[in-house]
Amino acid sequence: MNAILHAQQLTKHYPGSIALDHVDFLASAGESIAIVGPSGSGKTTLLHCLAGILRPDAGTVTLNTPSSPLRLDTLGDAALSRLRREEFGFVFQQGMLLPELTAVENVALALMLNGTDRATSESRAAEWLGALGLAGMEQRRLGELSGGQVQRVAIARAQVTGARVVFADEPTGALDSATSNEVLDVLLRSVAANGRTLLVVTHDPNVAARCQRVVELRDGRIVADNGSAVGSPVRPAPATNFKGAFNV
Amino acid sequence: MSSLSMALRLTPYLARSNGSSFRETGLRDAGLPILAFGTVTALLLTVAGGSQVFWSWSDDIAGTYQALAVVAMVLLIIPLLTLGASAARLAARRRDDRLASLRLLGANSATVVWMTVIESTVLAAVGAVAGAGLYACAAPFLGLIQFRGQAIGSHAWLSVPSILGCVLAVCVLAAASAALGLRKVVVTPLGVRTRQAADGAHWVRGLIAAVVVVIGVVAMGMLSSFGAFIVIIAVMGGCFGLALLALNLMGPWILRLRASSQLKRARKPEQLLAARTVLESPKESWRQVGGVAMTSFVGVFVGVGMAVADTMGGSAGDETALLVRDINTGVMITLLGSFLMVACSAGVNQAAAVLDRASMLVALDRVGMPRKLMVAARVKAVMSPLFLVAGISAAAAAVLVLPLTGAVLLTRPIVFLTIGAVFAAGFLLVRLAVAAGTAQIGQVLARPERYASMDS
Repeated sequence: MNAILHAQQLTKHYPGSIALDHVDFLASAGESIAIVGPSGSGKTTLLHCLAGILRPDAGTVTLNTPSSPLRLDTLGDAALSRLRREEFGFVFQQGMLLPELTAVENVALALMLNGTDRATSESRAAEWLGALGLAGMEQRRLGELSGGQVQRVAIARAQVTGARVVFADEPTGALDSATSNEVLDVLLRSVAANGRTLLVVTHDPNVAARCQRVVELRDGRIVADNGSAVGSPVRPAPATNFKGAFNV
Repeated sequence: MSSLSMALRLTPYLARSNGSSFRETGLRDAGLPILAFGTVTALLLTVAGGSQVFWSWSDDIAGTYQALAVVAMVLLIIPLLTLGASAARLAARRRDDRLASLRLLGANSATVVWMTVIESTVLAAVGAVAGAGLYACAAPFLGLIQFRGQAIGSHAWLSVPSILGCVLAVCVLAAASAALGLRKVVVTPLGVRTRQAADGAHWVRGLIAAVVVVIGVVAMGMLSSFGAFIVIIAVMGGCFGLALLALNLMGPWILRLRASSQLKRARKPEQLLAARTVLESPKESWRQVGGVAMTSFVGVFVGVGMAVADTMGGSAGDETALLVRDINTGVMITLLGSFLMVACSAGVNQAAAVLDRASMLVALDRVGMPRKLMVAARVKAVMSPLFLVAGISAAAAAVLVLPLTGAVLLTRPIVFLTIGAVFAAGFLLVRLAVAAGTAQIGQVLARPERYASMDS
């Protein structure tokens, strides 16, 4: 598989602690990768550095685009913002959608931000909502949708722009187990069907077990990776062995 | 232990916070409500101080000035109460999370209500004292305003009991608004539940307002048939009241119609967001800008009337000429005062809204929404209803006195230029206040870790 996102020697400090300690990471196109580890292990910091939300103190993050490789750590705020709009999609734990907008408007907004006209945006947004099982609910406001349905809207928003990498931070963390499974199904199927790369931060062993690859962090270092494409400090291990990583 | 005594013991305990948490949440929890209450008190004292000069006169024409002062105060007191209620709601809303936690620990509803009332009242008291200080600084400048050819000077100073009375009134307003405001939310152990559906603004409001306007127009048309001067004055006063009632009834409905139309035509993300913000609660939007509707109406109505009186009264004595000039001065001050209150209300509400939705703004920033777009949507959501409301109100007044409007436009264009300048200054004031409120977006995005977890 082709490498799409490549981080080398990523280091990030917070006052009094080190969140990432010389982390090497490579994601290939079409992979689904779970990033696991105890609270404070640096999972979300790694996700944010890979997504261009946080700047690492040291190290590089490279995104392979069709035209040329892009070094995220060297881009300015405006360029990073544009990159996140066009190349990346995000699914947060609480959805983080705009409550005053309808479901279809929330999804269409992602396209409108990229300059697509409103009619086309809403038409494509409605197609995505229909594909994710929300046909007939396009005009509903978020308060009229269940938690699982709201996350489906968030999944549609993350992918409607054609984002090549989808970042998800505890996407099922606020859902009951049945709804969590449904949402995870939708997320994994839609990502796979569209050839996207998925990076998901999770505490849930069931979520991790369903990803193709699991990366475990502890104290800012990758301590296990069952599908690593880069060298040290990675120790390959089967997915079933990662259950222990969730005992937090 | 009674709910009140429990609340009295818990409130000071929960009010304590360490330095860092105060720096992070102090502005949101206490700073904005105190600022809002301070502004309310300063404006209330300024209006009361400016008006009391009229009660120091006892000659023949004093009654006319006093009656006009009462009208001006009534016009200003409505936006002032709205601003006061916004401040109180803000103070109560700050405590949502803590109140839910207390319910989880077993505190009953009455304790939660008492705690909210106590906290709002304390914040109001601190703000009111600060506002009194602000009034003391402004009073010398207020004394420079001229009525009857003389600066009002030391008459702008209120007595200490009057100031204390105003401070007390603001505290009572805060307590009452906090208690009433809690009726709209349900504080449960699992959180604070609020309404999810957008509040409507039914077309029946428009129908009632139309009937009211028709009654007013018919009454005005029959004015000459009423005979007695006092009856004519009473009918004119009644029509004025009906017009204001119609404005208040129609306001939210008109804003909803306009926002619906803007939503259909929205091409850019900020247009979509602004229209949806207004549609989310047309009544809330109206509460923010409604004060300008009444004063804009009065500004044009009285401005035209006084210009005609001034033209026709060319041969009248100095006293009449002074009265006309003073009414014009009063109208312009009232108009600016109401814009000032709308500006304060908009600034405070925007800052509060930004802080309320800080985690959402951080998330939107992360998905790549440009900051300037977030600001543009908020600015449009305030300024668009403001322009509409001021424009319709001014136009309604101009139409009501249409023949006179034309005459004044031809003979005294300076009147319209003055009114236009006051409107422009008012719009600028509100725009600056909204800019100050939305500046919080930059603060939020500069320290996103305060509002979204980044340490896992």
